[in-house]
Amino acid sequence: MGLVKTVFLTEILKGLSLTLRKLFAKPVTIQYPEEKKPLAPGFRGRHALVRDPATGKDRCVGCYRCAQVCPAQCIYIEAERDPETKARIVKKYDIDALRCIFCGYCEEVCPVNAIVLTEFYEYSGYRREDLYFDREKLLKNWDEFIVTQKRPYFNPFWRPRGVPERKLPAAKRRAEGI
Amino acid sequence: MAQTLEIIQKQKDSEQWDEPYLVNMGPQHPATHGVLRLFLELDGETIVRCDPRIGYLHRGVEKLSEHRTYSQAMVLTDRLDYIASAANNVGYCLAVEKLMGLEVPRRAQIIRVIVCEMARIASHLLWLATHALDIGAMTVFLYCFRDREWLLDIFEEICGARLTVSYPRIGGVRLDFNQKIIDELYRFTEEFPHRIPEYETLIDVNRIWLKRTKGVGVISGEEAVNLGLTGPSLRGSGVRYDLRRARPYLIYDELDFEVAVEFEGDVYSRYRVRMKEMREANKIIRQCLDKLAECEGEPVIAEDAPDLVIPYGKIKRPEPALHPKRGYLVKGVEVPIVPEGEVYFAIEAPKGELGYYIVSDGTGHPWRVRIRAPSFVHISALPALSEGQMVADIIAVIGSVDIVLGECDR
Repeated sequence: MGLVKTVFLTEILKGLSLTLRKLFAKPVTIQYPEEKKPLAPGFRGRHALVRDPATGKDRCVGCYRCAQVCPAQCIYIEAERDPETKARIVKKYDIDALRCIFCGYCEEVCPVNAIVLTEFYEYSGYRREDLYFDREKLLKNWDEFIVTQKRPYFNPFWRPRGVPERKLPAAKRRAEGI
Repeated sequence: MAQTLEIIQKQKDSEQWDEPYLVNMGPQHPATHGVLRLFLELDGETIVRCDPRIGYLHRGVEKLSEHRTYSQAMVLTDRLDYIASAANNVGYCLAVEKLMGLEVPRRAQIIRVIVCEMARIASHLLWLATHALDIGAMTVFLYCFRDREWLLDIFEEICGARLTVSYPRIGGVRLDFNQKIIDELYRFTEEFPHRIPEYETLIDVNRIWLKRTKGVGVISGEEAVNLGLTGPSLRGSGVRYDLRRARPYLIYDELDFEVAVEFEGDVYSRYRVRMKEMREANKIIRQCLDKLAECEGEPVIAEDAPDLVIPYGKIKRPEPALHPKRGYLVKGVEVPIVPEGEVYFAIEAPKGELGYYIVSDGTGHPWRVRIRAPSFVHISALPALSEGQMVADIIAVIGSVDIVLGECDR
């Protein structure tokens, strides 16, 4: 290090000039509660069961695929066959959000796009039960979420880009925005 | 270093020798980058013995993997080195694919390289931020987090999560990039090389930084190899060893990049290596984006890739055998879901060689998973790096080997 550099602290001044320049630059911080960052489509947030606009009910067919694939095993389903029509009736569809790790496997394997992780993340509860979503709560989550969205809403994981058509179930191939 | 130890030895032999002063550093110490506990035996301000104690973040990832299917175990790898989770996922998927003999489509391979290098930049940025903060440079911390935020936003756009991405799949990736992501990545690669000189202006020639890093924690190349150091910590000692070049995986053999090497082997040269690596990673992303345009519209998941819902045990398939009386198919034979065997696959993760050793017994879940985590090996090198140094230097040494305790304790 030269004598001039040592005495005049040139490298420190250089650094300070950079910070001085940044002082007048546009701030990158976001004042969070007042100002919110737009979320990317397909953000893995709070769970919801999609309310089908045609029937007004959820789309779940009780195939157990989401419960089977869930790495945290936080989805509890009970389904039984209707003795007359032989159709499968979903008795119970519960998600324990406190156990969930938000990997998004459930929405990926769902053949009818019934379960979705919505782009909503500001939720909390005072008790554990508040974050144990049963079927009604999951549908309510969807209703609360969809009113905030631009319609038609389409989640990118309903028909994943770049996955060949043949590898997708029929409902996913035909998936449209709601 | 050797001289200092000699002096201490002389003092030990003399009659006035007292018991060494024991300092317990951690597990809750802001500069240990997690929950690392160090027993430091001090003589004055010199470290005589350094004894790392680990295990405070042990979650049993390896054991948990044995009771999950191959696809379910992938989300556990997110939580190893949570700063570069995409690289962990890619390493795991590559190991399972090697076991299954799967060929990944080219587009998926390019995308995997992109996310790996994004993870590398994000990891090095966080490393630089915290390392500089430990040593006392606050401004760099803020600038690095600003740019890391940009990368995390791109990750959010790609797969819907910022940190625990779970983006690759066995046989490909979850979904393709869209035009918005590609544009954003082009913008990032344009802008990022101008951001690196900003950090360098602040600390590269800063005399405080130089005094804290130069000649601290010196390790020779030979010693580093013997201790099993990999990644930037090894290349800082002048050993040109990079798995991306030594054992190329994905499409790294087609790419034009240099292996960053520095020769001093101290904290400063490890810092220089990581700064160079960020530039190279940026270059790789740029090349991959150009390659991505060549295979537009191709699938991102292999034809014979397994479904995400993998059966836990073996599955039975009917065998064309005739029943002696009834004359139709009766027997079911067990067929393996994943071929029996064992496999080791290592990738160049941001912190070093990240290897997965998987043993399969033919069922849908691994029989044994062993993870060769670079942080674990690097922590074992801490005594060699820090003994004979000043007690204040241990902070710089811990920072320079870049450890994440989530990966070390698993």
